[in-house]
Amino acid sequence: MELFFQQLTNGLAIGGIYALIALGYTMVYGVMKLINFAHGDLFTIGAYLGLTLLTSLGLSNYLGPVTGVLVLVVMIMVLVGIVGVLLERVAYRPLRQADRLSAVVSALGASIFFANALMLIYGARFRVYPHNILPKVSVNIMGLDIPLIRILMLVASLVLMAALYFFVQKTKTGTAIRAAAIDQGAAKLMGIDVNKIISIVFFIGPALGGAAGVMVGMYYGQINFTMGWVYGLKAFIAAVLGGIGNIPGAMLGGLLLGVIEALGAAYISIAWKDAIAFFVLIVILIVRPTGILGERVADKV
Amino acid sequence: MKRRLFWIGLSVVFTLILGLNGAWAKSIKIGLMCPLTGSWASEGQDMKKIVELLAEDINAQGGLLGADVEIVVEDDGGDPRTAALAAQRLATQDIVGVIGTYGSSVTEASQNIFDEFKIIQIANGSTAIRLTEKGLKYFFRTCPRDDEQGRVAVKNLEKMGYKRIAILHDNTTYSKGLADEAKSLLEEKGLEVVFYDALTPGERDYTAILTKLKAANPEVVFFTGYYPEAGLLLRQKKEMNWNVPFIGGDATNNPDLVKIAGKDAAEGFYFLSPPVPQDLDSKEAKEFLAAYVKKYGSAPGSVWAVLSGDAFLAIAEAIKGTKSTDPDRLADYLHNELKDMPGLTGKISFNSKGDRVGDLYRLYRVDADGKFVLQP
Repeated sequence: MELFFQQLTNGLAIGGIYALIALGYTMVYGVMKLINFAHGDLFTIGAYLGLTLLTSLGLSNYLGPVTGVLVLVVMIMVLVGIVGVLLERVAYRPLRQADRLSAVVSALGASIFFANALMLIYGARFRVYPHNILPKVSVNIMGLDIPLIRILMLVASLVLMAALYFFVQKTKTGTAIRAAAIDQGAAKLMGIDVNKIISIVFFIGPALGGAAGVMVGMYYGQINFTMGWVYGLKAFIAAVLGGIGNIPGAMLGGLLLGVIEALGAAYISIAWKDAIAFFVLIVILIVRPTGILGERVADKV
Repeated sequence: MKRRLFWIGLSVVFTLILGLNGAWAKSIKIGLMCPLTGSWASEGQDMKKIVELLAEDINAQGGLLGADVEIVVEDDGGDPRTAALAAQRLATQDIVGVIGTYGSSVTEASQNIFDEFKIIQIANGSTAIRLTEKGLKYFFRTCPRDDEQGRVAVKNLEKMGYKRIAILHDNTTYSKGLADEAKSLLEEKGLEVVFYDALTPGERDYTAILTKLKAANPEVVFFTGYYPEAGLLLRQKKEMNWNVPFIGGDATNNPDLVKIAGKDAAEGFYFLSPPVPQDLDSKEAKEFLAAYVKKYGSAPGSVWAVLSGDAFLAIAEAIKGTKSTDPDRLADYLHNELKDMPGLTGKISFNSKGDRVGDLYRLYRVDADGKFVLQP
């Protein structure tokens, strides 16, 4: 039983990261019907920028570890958000009237561009976050040692997701985003500036991905320029699993994928971990092609 | 106006002379296939630096057969598919021999291509047994084989007195080969293998594997994968407050391991490896190390990159010895006549399969400062 609960917490922590990244996929898909394949690389950019700011600004020295990390995460979210907005302007907006395949090709191109740019700027070696940014404390819950930072990661992911959900459901801009997701043309007729809405979506999604990048950097320590690919793929599965275009679906899909992977690793085989994740995806797509929460086709996002 | 025309004319003439001169002087091209990108990029970049340094050195002494040596570098990205393309590009560039590469599965993808084109290949980090069991005439390697490493690993595990042993690999040709080798040897000796499974390289979160490992309750874990994963395993093991000792295979021999794991988590990690460059005491090794530090500012990271230097020296020696670039004569020379050539990592000879002869493996331990300390 200890194995089960330990793997459950392992799965939830990594699942929170998947969910944060999946939100970016799902929002962009909801509004533009575009799979932003460069999203994983925005996550990597977040991790690298986080390292740069962390080592050059030394925030933790004069703000204290916890405030320092919070300020860092907010700064990264803003910066990566800006990169996301620029990405949309350069790579997707000119192709908005073209067929969908062109946009996908453009997304893949942007992904390769980002990965190689990061390699040229930061070098091909692994980069390593400084150790002991946050104090290494473990919390003992029912005989399980859970590092505090894991709990913080999960809590931070949940808070960000909740904030996003509130923003989309309760604010005026959120309503406009939902309107644009249903029908861009009609939204335009209602006086919504669709370009602005798309820019906002391309700010929020990458910002969350960037936050995930910093968290991964801080917790796992090691980053490299190709890491966005694996995480991006997993988050994409999570988004589809939960129902792509659906925000609570992305959260659920991410957490579920993390837990399935961890339990699969424990009770079936570690080497089959990824295969299990994909198998679950296939089963879901056969049984419920819209994803778990994807029933409200008319009201995506 | 006239003056300008004169200068333009003069520079055109000079350019032509220089250009033609370059075209006339025939150079000896030696290929280097290495992972300049991808997760083993740091190994590949060191390989490039080392081989280029040695080539400069030979050119300063007048080159080979009166011609300059030119190194043609192709990036294999640490990926078998890219390697096959890299090998094809190299094979069509009129090269005499090729050095590389690092990972066994990557080398395997290139072997047959070079063999078809009759090009000598000397791998430097590819230790999987089957690479030389295929009987390819033009294939050699300067690194030892996994069965040798497996024997040394089991000998050391026995010596340290462990009875319940966990084995973890990463499903690459090299890692699984070594894990299988160690498993069968351990079982022959009546030691218990309580865990045998693989992880997926390239991930960040290995807590799922560590939790399962811990549940198997081993006295020691033998990890046969590469340094990025080993570093993360050590780091996350420490965070779980689990104090089981880890022993790594030779692919964990890279200073980046300590950076990834952190000094406190890396301390006490054992690994097997041919001696790191700094522990080599031959004259050739010391001179080379000094020249390397002078040119690049720091010592080469791992022994695998240095073994690419040995591959270069062996090719150069064979060209000198046979006074030819004919692949059949070079292969014969390397198989039969090259005996105890002083290399950077010790004396170099090859057996009939193309494997390096001799006993190379040592046991290392990471100390509290993150230094690799040779164990007696």
